[in-house]
Amino acid sequence: MHTFTIAGRELRALFVSPVAYVVLTLWSVIAGTFFLASLIGFQERMIQLQQFQMFQQIEETNLNDQLIEPFIGSMWVILLFLLPAVTMGLVSSEKANGTEELLLTSPISIWDIVLGKFLAGSGFVLVMTAIIAFFPALLFVYGEPELGKTVSGLVCLLLVSMTYVAVGVFASSVTRSQLIAFVLTLVLLVMLGLMLPFLVDITLAGSGVGSDSAISQVVRWIATGSHVDRMLRGLVDTADLAYFAISSAVFLLLSKTVIESARWR
Amino acid sequence: MSSSNAANRTAGSPPAIRVAGLAKRYGDFQAVRGLDFEVAPGEVVGFLGPNGAGKTTTLRMLTGFLPATDGEAVIAGHDIFGEPALARRAIGYLPETPPLYPEMTPASYVTFVAKIKDVPRGERAKQVEHALERCGLQHVRDQEIRQLSKGYRQRVGLAQAIVHEPAVLVLDEPTVGLDPIQIREIRALIRDLAATGKQTVLLSTHILAEVEAICQRVVLIDRGQKVLDQSIAELTADGGSLEEVFTRVLTRDEADETGEAA
Repeated sequence: MHTFTIAGRELRALFVSPVAYVVLTLWSVIAGTFFLASLIGFQERMIQLQQFQMFQQIEETNLNDQLIEPFIGSMWVILLFLLPAVTMGLVSSEKANGTEELLLTSPISIWDIVLGKFLAGSGFVLVMTAIIAFFPALLFVYGEPELGKTVSGLVCLLLVSMTYVAVGVFASSVTRSQLIAFVLTLVLLVMLGLMLPFLVDITLAGSGVGSDSAISQVVRWIATGSHVDRMLRGLVDTADLAYFAISSAVFLLLSKTVIESARWR
Repeated sequence: MSSSNAANRTAGSPPAIRVAGLAKRYGDFQAVRGLDFEVAPGEVVGFLGPNGAGKTTTLRMLTGFLPATDGEAVIAGHDIFGEPALARRAIGYLPETPPLYPEMTPASYVTFVAKIKDVPRGERAKQVEHALERCGLQHVRDQEIRQLSKGYRQRVGLAQAIVHEPAVLVLDEPTVGLDPIQIREIRALIRDLAATGKQTVLLSTHILAEVEAICQRVVLIDRGQKVLDQSIAELTADGGSLEEVFTRVLTRDEADETGEAA
């Protein structure tokens, strides 16, 4: 109940802030550019294949694998850099405004605050996902992409965004400074999204431990990459869905603990 | 020196605020050391002390924002640590800096607070209007809070504190940083609230004139301990001003400390 009160207020606050519109504008422009580039690339490839009469390849080429999947995949990487600007103020601004004192002396629970913030952030990334959905939707007008694969890709983008919102809520709850929250979120997201598998490979490279060792596998599971890759290709696996749920829950639990313990010092 | 006449006043009904052995330690620093006092329903009590005496820390424990190291605080019969939801519903709290969302309007902000304070849906609109009206905010109700003057922000803070019609109102230095006219307005507002005779008010301040203007009784603390708990009438009975009394009490207290140390 109070979760929705908190979420509603936060969502309204997000949409009156200039940051939201800067992010949404950048997001739309980048998406449009990427989509156009992918579209031109796709067209050229088709023309080439036709010129060389490579019918086998033409047969295998489809809008989902050559266009929609790489497009959503690229937007996932852009998300890592834009989302911190959206989530940086979620909890930190309550501390800076002094409104934390109002919330924590009201008959609501800390879960109401944490889940409310998470829901508000999720509402925002839903809008971001809807913007992305517009582009593949165009393809349905002119071509015949697979609906299932396309929807799976979009749902994947939404789920990974929500997981990152949970990370953002956590980073935002450890500080009263939006700048610190932004940097911390960015670092955490780049680690989770891009760096972790490479770091573990580099670290293990000289040690004689193979890349299929337990530690390497655990780190690969923690990183978002493999889960996203599978789902973008249209493979919806409960294990990957569980990954999004578990990692969100972990970061929300951490946020709750941080908000609670900030007062015990 | 702390005449505990609170017992007589509360003979009939339970106290609106009861604080017993309340203590707070930050690491090695003992901010509040075993504080005891009571406030009867309808009473307006000034909570005084020099800066750094532990006033804000005490109020933060009383309102459930900070956990206490020791002791208990009971609001309208509900222990703030044992039954936090019930106790919190009974408190209206205006912290030192009013907890405002600058992008909201007074009307939307006070409505938001009414929701999180569990004001029933059917009563909400009425109580929000009532709070806005009492704090003289109707004509700025739809302006952004960030555009309001400091005095108006303080009023919004006050409206937020009274919107759920709490039994107990806790105000932490409500006139700090305001100009003389704004100070007079806020004081008049608090006096109005208190004049109903039903509103219990605990008002923290270090301005003596404020206490004389609004309160019936004072609780004076210094370095985390209570040094005085008496009605204004008794304190000024011998014709002395509050200032003289407090200077005497506070310096005597210092003398005691030096005596102990030596």
